[in-house]
Amino acid sequence: MKKYILKRILTLLPTVFIVSVVVFLLVHLTPGDPAAMMLGDDATMEDIAALHAKLGLDDPLIVQYIRWVSRCLQGDFGTSTAVIGQKVSDMVFSHFRPTLCLAIYSQLITILLAIPTGILAARKRGRIADMITSVLSLLGISLPSFMMGLGLVLLVAVHFRALPAAGYKDLFTDGLLPFLRYMTLPALSLGFIHAAYMMRMTKTSMLEVLSSDYIKMARSKGVKEHTIIGKHAFRNAFLTVLTVIGQGFISALAGAAVVEKLFTIPGIGTLMVDSIEKRDYQVIQAITLLIAMLNVVINLIIDLLYGLCDPRIRLE
Amino acid sequence: MTDTILSVSNLSTSFRTDRGWLKAIDGVSFTVHRGEILGLVGESGCGKSVTSQSIMRLYEEKRMVRYEGTVMLSGTDLLSLPFSRMQHIRGRDISMIFQDALSSLNPVLTVGDQIMEPLRIHQKMRGDAARAEALNMLRLVGIPAPETRLRQYPHELSGGMRQRVMIAIALACHPQLLIADEPTTALDVTIQAQIMDLIVFLNRQLAMGVILITHDLAVVAQTCQRVAVMYLGQIVEEGGVPDIFDRPLHPYTRGLLASIPRMDGDRRERLHVIDGTVPLLHQMPSGCRFAPRCPYATDHCRKEMPQLRSVSGGQSVRCWREEE
Repeated sequence: MKKYILKRILTLLPTVFIVSVVVFLLVHLTPGDPAAMMLGDDATMEDIAALHAKLGLDDPLIVQYIRWVSRCLQGDFGTSTAVIGQKVSDMVFSHFRPTLCLAIYSQLITILLAIPTGILAARKRGRIADMITSVLSLLGISLPSFMMGLGLVLLVAVHFRALPAAGYKDLFTDGLLPFLRYMTLPALSLGFIHAAYMMRMTKTSMLEVLSSDYIKMARSKGVKEHTIIGKHAFRNAFLTVLTVIGQGFISALAGAAVVEKLFTIPGIGTLMVDSIEKRDYQVIQAITLLIAMLNVVINLIIDLLYGLCDPRIRLE
Repeated sequence: MTDTILSVSNLSTSFRTDRGWLKAIDGVSFTVHRGEILGLVGESGCGKSVTSQSIMRLYEEKRMVRYEGTVMLSGTDLLSLPFSRMQHIRGRDISMIFQDALSSLNPVLTVGDQIMEPLRIHQKMRGDAARAEALNMLRLVGIPAPETRLRQYPHELSGGMRQRVMIAIALACHPQLLIADEPTTALDVTIQAQIMDLIVFLNRQLAMGVILITHDLAVVAQTCQRVAVMYLGQIVEEGGVPDIFDRPLHPYTRGLLASIPRMDGDRRERLHVIDGTVPLLHQMPSGCRFAPRCPYATDHCRKEMPQLRSVSGGQSVRCWREEE
């Protein structure tokens, strides 16, 4: 297992390197002089040249890259070009927490919704329960998250007045209950599409496993049906579902912009959209890097969980 | 020796398909005695596996499958038992081993876990007791270093080893009856012989009945006391192994025996082939099911289905030619 972990981590290094180069070039390849943009239209050539020297923009690219990487490693992503004096790391960090909490909550809802219904649909294949879940999942897959969100707001917040329509309460500073009150609708609209997809994957994977010989063997040993589902079948079907959970988590972290805007949550998505509007390249660069790294880390975690769940992977 | 463990009579299993109910096996009857190995032979698709899985009631989806007839196991009719009672019979009184041990063992559970499972379920064994019994079983099926094997996963074992593990799982609770569904088909020849020897050894050691499903007549000749030949969901001939091999009565059995390649004799001679192909289940002939392929078929054969009737010496055959 140790060898497996080490191998997984080592294979990440090239990915991380390539990602960092691309993110670095992202800013340098965009047209326009960052120094000129920072100083505004009425800057003199001397001012611009001075800022160039100060920021090291005249150095060879490779030197700039190394300097940038070593700063990033120390958590220094520079200062914002739009909000004067604001450190990029602070901005990203403070916006990351809502996104992370929302992502975890929405994935929890997704998993709790999708896996049991997927198993149910597989067990009751062709019957009413299967048909209902199939229709619901089709609906979930075809409905975009902002439609889902608007629908939920209309129904739950406006019509029933059960939950607030928008806003954000922090899990740590405001407590669990306000957090749940404010975040349930966004989490649902974010998670529903994915729940539909995960439910289908769970069902397909369970059906495949349930028709396998080892399930027949387990039945012929006299194993009870619920043990067959829980112990023999789901542990095998879970391997497929695990990949879907990873994808879902990544898309909840990186793709929440629409939902965050809709519910006015000060998350990474909101920050990203605002920064693009203001051409705040430093922030965009930091967010891109963060999301890319999250991808890498989550995939690593999923890989390690794979190794934990499947003895066949661990060995090689 | 003449204790009857299992007596199957008139067993029919139908499956629901788009074309309506199809009978995969039709009126299958046979018995298995204590300490006996009964061979169940026939070509692919003749209903051997359906028969064995119907005995275990492994097709449990009520809307998709229908059983008729009786399956008496030591005085209890398995087909009329409630499902929960059937779960207690499986693995304790009847066990089953399958063709492909790799796909029949759960890849994410250790060998030990899988052997101990029936012990936990049926004998309420826990912890060390279950572990000790699992070790015993591994030793019984001839697995070296059983302590190590117990902690390993199926993919870490060789094919023959996996088959032995599967036998150990099946026999963990010392069932009265073992159904072996082509247990050696997926193995190479030397391992095949070892596994068959093991099954014969355990059959004597544990005095259990064995139904050996195979299409390998050589294996039947070497290991079984009695044999039932199936064709298209029916038993066409049944009897003692020496009788059937010396004096096959049904034209299908004769054809099967004649199709075995021989190492002696004229090697230039072409292999015997039974003419025609197996009809589809929904195009079943109304008379004798073998009539379309039978060289001796008469109009009578094509019109009316013969019954399985006993002839001399405990041999039974389903053929009009033996009726006079």
